[in-house]
Amino acid sequence: MGEYSERKIKVIKHIDELFTFIDIFEHKNISFHHHLRNGDYVLNYVLKKYIKENVQGINLFPSSIFPSYLGILDLIKNNQINDITTNYINGPVAQYISKNGLPGILKMQTHGGRARSIIEGKSKIDIAFIAAPYVNHDGDCVGYLGKNKCGSLGYAIADSIHAKIKVLVTDNLVDVAILHPEISGSNIDYILLVDSIGDSQGIVSGTTQVTNNPVGVKIAKNTSTLLKELGVIKNGFSFQSGAGGISLRVTKDVKDIMIKENIKASFFSGGITKYHVEMLEEGLVEKLYDVQCFDLEAIESLSRNKNHIPISASRYANPNDKSQIIKDLDIVILGATEIDYDFNVNVTTDSHQTLVGGSGGHSDTATESKICVIVSPLIQGRIPVIKERVTTITTLGKNIDCLVTERGIVINPLRKDLVKILKESKLKILTIQELSEIAHNFTNIPKDIVNRDKIIGEVEDRTFEIIDYIYQK
Amino acid sequence: MSRSYLFIPGNTPSMIQNLDVFESDAVIIDFEDSVTSYDKDAARILIKNFLKKYSYKDIDLYIRINSAESDYFLNDVKDTLDLDIIGYVLPKASVKAINALNKLSSKKIIPIIESPLALLHVKEIANEDNVTALLLGAEDYTKELGIKRSLEGKEIFYARSIIAITANAYNIDSIDTPYTNKEDMEGLLVDSENALNLGFTSKSSIHPNQVDIINTVFAPSLDEITEARRIIKKSEETNKGAFSLDGKMIDMPIIEKAKKVLEKAKKYNL
Repeated sequence: MGEYSERKIKVIKHIDELFTFIDIFEHKNISFHHHLRNGDYVLNYVLKKYIKENVQGINLFPSSIFPSYLGILDLIKNNQINDITTNYINGPVAQYISKNGLPGILKMQTHGGRARSIIEGKSKIDIAFIAAPYVNHDGDCVGYLGKNKCGSLGYAIADSIHAKIKVLVTDNLVDVAILHPEISGSNIDYILLVDSIGDSQGIVSGTTQVTNNPVGVKIAKNTSTLLKELGVIKNGFSFQSGAGGISLRVTKDVKDIMIKENIKASFFSGGITKYHVEMLEEGLVEKLYDVQCFDLEAIESLSRNKNHIPISASRYANPNDKSQIIKDLDIVILGATEIDYDFNVNVTTDSHQTLVGGSGGHSDTATESKICVIVSPLIQGRIPVIKERVTTITTLGKNIDCLVTERGIVINPLRKDLVKILKESKLKILTIQELSEIAHNFTNIPKDIVNRDKIIGEVEDRTFEIIDYIYQK
Repeated sequence: MSRSYLFIPGNTPSMIQNLDVFESDAVIIDFEDSVTSYDKDAARILIKNFLKKYSYKDIDLYIRINSAESDYFLNDVKDTLDLDIIGYVLPKASVKAINALNKLSSKKIIPIIESPLALLHVKEIANEDNVTALLLGAEDYTKELGIKRSLEGKEIFYARSIIAITANAYNIDSIDTPYTNKEDMEGLLVDSENALNLGFTSKSSIHPNQVDIINTVFAPSLDEITEARRIIKKSEETNKGAFSLDGKMIDMPIIEKAKKVLEKAKKYNL
């Protein structure tokens, strides 16, 4: 902590007071971050005011939508929302939009694409409401301290700089200087005090432990063996895996290889869990670039370890950010709800057209990494993961390099270099059609039930190209 | 000749569907302890339909039927006689029970030695027709003896030794009892190595995640394979029953052992 300055920002004790300074009816493009995940109270609290005032034609820009964000559902049902632009959507709001659509459009962006869109003025945000766990009177803020700490505030940084009005919403206003704030008070207009911004326990929702499911274990083993045979687990390599059980198991298996062969990685990036923290503390990796903490251990680490570095979504994955971290990413391990014969991956909808997620950093990391590996059981809930055409394209097939399942591995034929390295491999390497046939041997070919009559949303890649549409189910 | 025998419940479609995924050399589809009494017929129907549609050339498939004394024994055998399986694993083994099974089927039999009486008769059991391996069932064995089962397995040292020695003497395989803590991989490794060092040729498991370690322990190591290759090469070059290699005397039993090592290495693609 440094010295505390004399500069003060207007501190407001109730949301009604805030809107005596701001005309609510003129500021209808509003944004939120999702770092408190399913434990967030701020979004519902703010939207209550918009419901009460019956503001029409709202355009929402939450970085993600979780099951507890029910204020959005109330607004939709009141016909107050026009467009929603987000990176991930799950739960009742997702289910409702899947069936009913919006008066406007649902735009699904990537994490890097969202930051880019805000910075470059494509997404015009009137007010950014930023849940802020630890704020001083200068408006400086970090996410890894405070009673409701959530770790990195990476997804809120672009909003905190480029929205017309920036409001920190906090339950923890302190009288000390913050030496290295994630959000700089120089950009902040108001501090809104509330009883509680959320429940930090809720941030672990949606994440999992390392899987012990035998099929998941087999997939992870196949993946780590593949990476070893490709020769990419070597000193100085960089790595990213999600918080899914199989991805974390791959991380564990990669860790075992690193210990056995005395290998040290340069960095891990993206969403950080206790498993990544353990590897940092054991000296197996030099740095963690953290855009989002997935558990409380990661948050604690962020507050005490200088090599665990919070980064903005722009630095993480904005293709136009010169310091973009993932441009140096060697390996990324990602999931899929569906993958098709052209290697396009869907993590946005399920096969029944219900919205169940979104890109997050999927397309960003797949595009930038040297090797992108999709890990998935071949059959999920009696449905094969491989389809002739995915229900929704989240990540373009040209950016996917390998698919690893429990029954075999597929290398994208576009990656002739990888195919060549694996020519003599004892791994079970098949074409995607061959692997699909193995699945069909158990399931037969499922009937395509996708309804493509009415567009309700679009998938915008980090390039701003619309790569697919989302249809009403 | 298998390194690993994985038990899979006969009434669990998700496990049955993936029985070839876990890299176990042999799979034992269980009709006995993991299937409750009201599900016995469902397991039989499921397996019958499944194995009529799917065949597994790279896996030795067995069915653990219910004991010869049970009400399910006869139907277990009759309903599976025409299936493409290698044989039966017979719980609560005795000479009488094996004879009863041999009257119904000519398939291979792996008796489970899981009582003190069966241990006393293990030579006779090993000598019965169609018996190709002996499997130690330590849980029931220690239960009958009224002693506590430990993860270290000191209490089954004698039983393990007798079974491994008998199987070796009768030139059949010996299968060690499962390691029951499915989370403890270090314990599994030690337990498997103990069994190997007592002369067991393989080990059974109750969880797919155990197969990898068992396969590693019961496969010949790279050093053993290299040594075996040198022995066979020298044997072919000298064309003698006994010769010296690196100052050590090599004779027929060592040459035969080397052949077995290479046979295993070939089978397991090592």
